[in-house]
Amino acid sequence: MVIWTLAKKDLRLLLGDRRAVVILLAMPVLFILVLGVALGKDQLRISIVDLDKGEYLQSAGFPPEKWSKMFIQDLKQTAPDIEVEILSLDQGRQKIDARKRAAVLVFGPDFSRKVSQCSFLQDGINPFNRSGVNLALLDAELLRDETQGTAAAIIEQAAQVTLLRIILPWMIGRAFEKVGDPAFLDLLAKEEQVPSMVKSFLNSPLIKKEQKTALGAGLQNALQGLFAKYNLTGKTWETLTQPKSAARAGGKDSGKSALSQNPATDEEGPSFLNRGDLRYQSLVPSYTVMFAFFLVLTVGWLFVSERRQGTLKRLRAAPLSRTEILLGKMVPCFLLSLGQGFFLLAAGKLVFDMKLGHQPFWLAAVVVTTSTAAMGLSLLVASMARTEAQVAIYGTLLVLVLAGISGCLMGDPELMPERMKLLSRFTPHAWAMDAYSQLLLRPEPNLVLVAQACGVLILFGAGFVGLAWWVLRLD
Amino acid sequence: MAAILEVEDLHKNYGATVALNGVSFQVADGEIFGLLGPNGAGKTTLLSIVSCLLAASAGEARIHGQKVDLDNKELRRQIGIVPQELALYDELSGRENLGFFGRLYGMKGAELERRVREVLIAVGLDDRADRRVATFSGGMKRRLNLGAAMVHQPRLLLMDEPTTGVDPQSRNHIFEEIRRLNRAGTTVVYTSHYMEEVQALCPRVGILDHGLLIACDEVPQLLRKQDGLIRFRVPAVTSVLRSRLGQIPESRLVEADSRPLEIVCRDVKPALAQLLAILADLKLEVLSLETEEPNLERVFLGLTGSALRD
Repeated sequence: MVIWTLAKKDLRLLLGDRRAVVILLAMPVLFILVLGVALGKDQLRISIVDLDKGEYLQSAGFPPEKWSKMFIQDLKQTAPDIEVEILSLDQGRQKIDARKRAAVLVFGPDFSRKVSQCSFLQDGINPFNRSGVNLALLDAELLRDETQGTAAAIIEQAAQVTLLRIILPWMIGRAFEKVGDPAFLDLLAKEEQVPSMVKSFLNSPLIKKEQKTALGAGLQNALQGLFAKYNLTGKTWETLTQPKSAARAGGKDSGKSALSQNPATDEEGPSFLNRGDLRYQSLVPSYTVMFAFFLVLTVGWLFVSERRQGTLKRLRAAPLSRTEILLGKMVPCFLLSLGQGFFLLAAGKLVFDMKLGHQPFWLAAVVVTTSTAAMGLSLLVASMARTEAQVAIYGTLLVLVLAGISGCLMGDPELMPERMKLLSRFTPHAWAMDAYSQLLLRPEPNLVLVAQACGVLILFGAGFVGLAWWVLRLD
Repeated sequence: MAAILEVEDLHKNYGATVALNGVSFQVADGEIFGLLGPNGAGKTTLLSIVSCLLAASAGEARIHGQKVDLDNKELRRQIGIVPQELALYDELSGRENLGFFGRLYGMKGAELERRVREVLIAVGLDDRADRRVATFSGGMKRRLNLGAAMVHQPRLLLMDEPTTGVDPQSRNHIFEEIRRLNRAGTTVVYTSHYMEEVQALCPRVGILDHGLLIACDEVPQLLRKQDGLIRFRVPAVTSVLRSRLGQIPESRLVEADSRPLEIVCRDVKPALAQLLAILADLKLEVLSLETEEPNLERVFLGLTGSALRD
């Protein structure tokens, strides 16, 4: 009962403290808001200069558009998170010079012509090299800002994969067409390993051209039957990688139907806040965890002011045990931290449209155990600090260092190098973030990992409270 | 009357510093006992030990015969402490402060409400009870500080310099309340370095200096240990004047170059009457005249050789 009396008084003081409300509730929402907006959309922007004149060969009506357009459409299809920006050559160069873009992909005037010439045949262009696609051979170029090496490399890889995806099926399809070509049968007849009976048949003047064509078609069909999982005449990645029967069922194989399924655009997202973006799934928990530990300041100030105001002396003179006084401090800390945790998750949902996952019980458990650890650390700092300045300096330093080590400060621990991730295991933040990322980012969260993280957080809390008990001097 | 507080050979050391050096005294039930001493004499340490806040290095204190120790919750219920510094929550109202401290002592419900109301009236803050303490003047805070120690109706009220920085009006209010509490049966131990306060309030006084209780007696008894003083100037000190002044009973004349003459006497009033009669008789003009009755300040000076406020 007396513990609740102490707790109620502290809660009343804490809730009446505007500084606490700003630090614990307003600041994290503001941080999430600013970072959420400042980071732009959750997209990889690839800037393209398209000088392609579009001189290309068509094979059975393919490609429907010039190859640079095919590239762009395939790129947009890759993932909705890729944003394509079309620039003029001058704009592209200016943006690289101004460090506004890490890389700009330039398709030269002959890009379509060169891609059309890509072939496995001897007289065709072999665009492949050790790195993937040799851009120079296709009249393409990647302008880079050398100071943004990592970002440029990511863009280059995205471009390489897309190029492979459009060129390789084109080359396979064309090569497969050659299998049925009478010229191919003439070549076959010249091969020494071919049995003489077959050679006689192929070279016989009695065999008509139509019969040879039928033989070619038969060979094609047999090969297609052998590689039944692929449509070897597909010419696009999508059709190449599905059985021919499925492609027929799916309609015409022009490539255009598939491309039109994902009308990705260059436009900005639907709202200023980018509500519902994936980033909020890590930003909100990151700052929920980071600011949970800002409780250190609020509780520290409360403790110090109890000393400064002399009321601690009255508490000590009252018929209270040391345990009751400590518990009387722990309860409001814990309740405040819980309130803060649930408030920030609710704000995440309501303001940023963060998805809360399908495990509300476990989400609540993470809030509760994070609050336990935050309460413990707050009591420890409060036990050691003697002045408000000490609380402000040591508390802020501790909270920011822990948030930095754990990756919460950056809004996403996954951005940290592996060595730092290992170090972050020594912070309660990292364990809390583990649990949150399981629950908020994974469709099928690993609840064993969540439970393990909750257990570690409780251990952190118990350890901090134990230390606080040992360090605390009420006199 | 039975002793409510017994202090016996109490010692307290902070490392090499001796704060209390074998202090012993008793306070009778229903008494207002004054502890007088300069800053650093050990008054706060003594009260801290008696109020279960601090362990003694040696010796013991007993309240109603029970030994004072840090874990004795029952004993704490009988004690009210008014700390030297204000000990209030600025962000809570006066009523909330008193309610909170009352609840710490197990009070609740209507009884607590009634008692809080009584205390607010007693300390003259009933009209401002619901205002935040941060808005109170220094004197009002001091009165509430006293009220916070009274809510649970302690048998023994320990007051550590309760009038520090208080205006005369609030001081009088506090004194009246202490007397009223005492009449209602509360024993008060009042510490101060203001000898006027202690002399006015406490029938019995202990004088503490450097951790030692150098005197402990009723105030008249203490004052009796000191002489009064009459200091005066006349145009010329003649041998006739010296001779006549020497005839004033229970007195002696002190002369020093360029300083006024001084008559040190047991009782100032009759000696002054005789002095004035002699001067009139000799037709000597009085250039200046002042008297000093014996007081605790001079008692302290006499006992320690230094002034109380040094």
